[in-house]
Amino acid sequence: MRLRRGVLAALALLATTMGGLAARAAPAPAEIKIGTLYASSGPFASISMPVFDGIKLWVQQVNARGGVYVKPFHKKIPIKLVAYDDQSSTATAATLYNQLITQDHVNLLLSDSGSVLTSVAVPIAKEHKMFLFDVSGTGGTFFTKDNPYIGLMAIPVSTIWPKAISDFLDDVGVKHGIKTVAILYATNDFTGTQASALKGFLEKDGKVKIVYDQGVPTSTSNYTVLINNIAATKPDAVAELGFPGNDIAFLRNLQDSGEKFRFVFTIYGGAEMDEVLKNAGAAAMKDTFSYVPSALYQYKVNFGPTLPQYHAAWEKAYPKGAGVEWGSNAVYGYMTGLVIQRALATTSGMSQLDLHHAVFALSGKLKTLDGPFELNGEGAQVGELTPIGQLQPNAKGGLDLVSVYPPQFAHGKAVFGK
Amino acid sequence: MLIGAIVAGVVFGLYFTLVGLGLNLVFGVMRIVNLAHGDFVMLGGYAAWWLLSAFGIHPLVAAVIVLVVFVALGMPLYYLIVPQLQRARDSEMLSLILFFGLSQMIEAVATIFLGTTERSLPGRVLGIGPIIVLGARLPKPWVFSAAVSAVAVAAVYVYLYRTRLGTLTRAVMVSRDEALATGIDVHRVSAIAFGISLALAGIAGVFAPFMLGSITPDIGVGLNITAFAVIVVGTLGNPLGTVVGGIVYGVSLMLMQTYFSSWANLLPNLLLIAVLLVRPEGLFGRQVRRA
Repeated sequence: MRLRRGVLAALALLATTMGGLAARAAPAPAEIKIGTLYASSGPFASISMPVFDGIKLWVQQVNARGGVYVKPFHKKIPIKLVAYDDQSSTATAATLYNQLITQDHVNLLLSDSGSVLTSVAVPIAKEHKMFLFDVSGTGGTFFTKDNPYIGLMAIPVSTIWPKAISDFLDDVGVKHGIKTVAILYATNDFTGTQASALKGFLEKDGKVKIVYDQGVPTSTSNYTVLINNIAATKPDAVAELGFPGNDIAFLRNLQDSGEKFRFVFTIYGGAEMDEVLKNAGAAAMKDTFSYVPSALYQYKVNFGPTLPQYHAAWEKAYPKGAGVEWGSNAVYGYMTGLVIQRALATTSGMSQLDLHHAVFALSGKLKTLDGPFELNGEGAQVGELTPIGQLQPNAKGGLDLVSVYPPQFAHGKAVFGK
Repeated sequence: MLIGAIVAGVVFGLYFTLVGLGLNLVFGVMRIVNLAHGDFVMLGGYAAWWLLSAFGIHPLVAAVIVLVVFVALGMPLYYLIVPQLQRARDSEMLSLILFFGLSQMIEAVATIFLGTTERSLPGRVLGIGPIIVLGARLPKPWVFSAAVSAVAVAAVYVYLYRTRLGTLTRAVMVSRDEALATGIDVHRVSAIAFGISLALAGIAGVFAPFMLGSITPDIGVGLNITAFAVIVVGTLGNPLGTVVGGIVYGVSLMLMQTYFSSWANLLPNLLLIAVLLVRPEGLFGRQVRRA
């Protein structure tokens, strides 16, 4: 009996050793296939194309240096980017994510930009046991304990962004007489989650009362009547949470309406400042508040280029007028590439769970131009920050996004309207 | 809030009258559905953006330029596409497919050359600040757009009912075969109507950045759905019924935004379904058939 057990143990050891040798002996692939989607048209094109261009720029730079270093093969391997156009359609995206996994057999899977087009990737990646490099899909429901096949790369999960707005209103706004707030949001995973979280934080603290709370379709392009309705509730502060097209229309209509609120907040006034400024104009954006994105705030890095270095590379690759504007999404795509680069350089193998471990091992250690990279146990990004900034006039007659909160990130003081 | 919503709805609806007017004219004259109509609105918007940013041309002047250019483009486009379509057994259905293809092509080419970022015209060129009507604060550009729309409707009325060409056009609208039999140059009349239709779309496009906040190459599809709802409500084939269709749409949208804001984007489809179920011929159905 003892002999039999010994033989079995020896066989098991032999099998393990042979397996390990086989793995080590596996030839390196000619290329690392990275699959992703982009939206060249439709409502999400303006947030998708900068992400895609950022990824392309990273691939181009890595391949110019001979490829990405992949630890299991101890060599640099060129990257092949396999990308399809989902045209902002979740139905098309679902088909194409499946195609990337089952037909193209990509080694790494990246989701398209934003929560809407990521929402369909999450269950597909989980079903195929494929680790999803979630670039900027921040919907809180994407991250669950039973799903190890997702990691949010570039921006914090939606549920924690509005904490900064709530804290700012409670800590600073109340001292300046802000007592009531109106919340108007586009009904999608990204902004809907933020609105819900903001309401939760404000109601918990109880210092600022919500007097208006309405959702509108993401396709909304006129806000005149909504602004009139908000004004009828006499709020001190207004938080409009939408995509770039929503924010542009809202700010233009607000300016045209002649209504004034003491605090006006939009997400993309800061996150895609160039684009919103170009379309809404400086007068419409003056003194409004927004999140300060990594594209406008220089973090200390321990891997990859600094913000000015990357911005210079971006401007060289995509000169102004090329159709895609510099903004936070331009950083998100490139930053995801940096995480992939570090993960491949440290991973113990090429299985999807090996990649999961490699990515999670970077948590708390990696600092890129996008800020500190930190994942919670469910894969949600919790390290990167969303300071509050205000678009204040500069000496050149334009606007600067001045970080005003929290105090450790503040470069100036908030100015409230009368 | 109710009165404000109704006033804003009338003004906003007048703009959508302009968006739908050309689509209805084409259907009335040629019995084809131009699913690329919204894309010509988009092209009008980009034309205004380009004329202002490259040459500093005011949108009102741009509207005149767009009118001339789009009429000039529309007539050869008619001869290229429509006569062949009308020789087909089911030209209405075929037109849906063909113009859908054209719509996709225009959007793709626009995306390639113009990119995906939002473009707009500065609000100051049409005036910033509200115009207060019955307590409702309306943006000046909205009032400008509504006024241009009213002028366009009046011009179409004069064209249809006060000119010889208009009489011929109405004859074709009543019966294409009888018009042919009486010696009317149906193709010439239709080509002019097609050109006018595109010009109306182009002019609507000039004001789109003010009414919609900004434009992108993909706005055509959504505009088509709305325009289609507007003309079905106002009666397919009756260009002047489009005015009522536009106002019904505008007022309904603003009421939805006020009381059921999350559901507002369902409105064009709800209107379409409701009208098709209750009064399929539209609000002015009888008048059309006797036009």
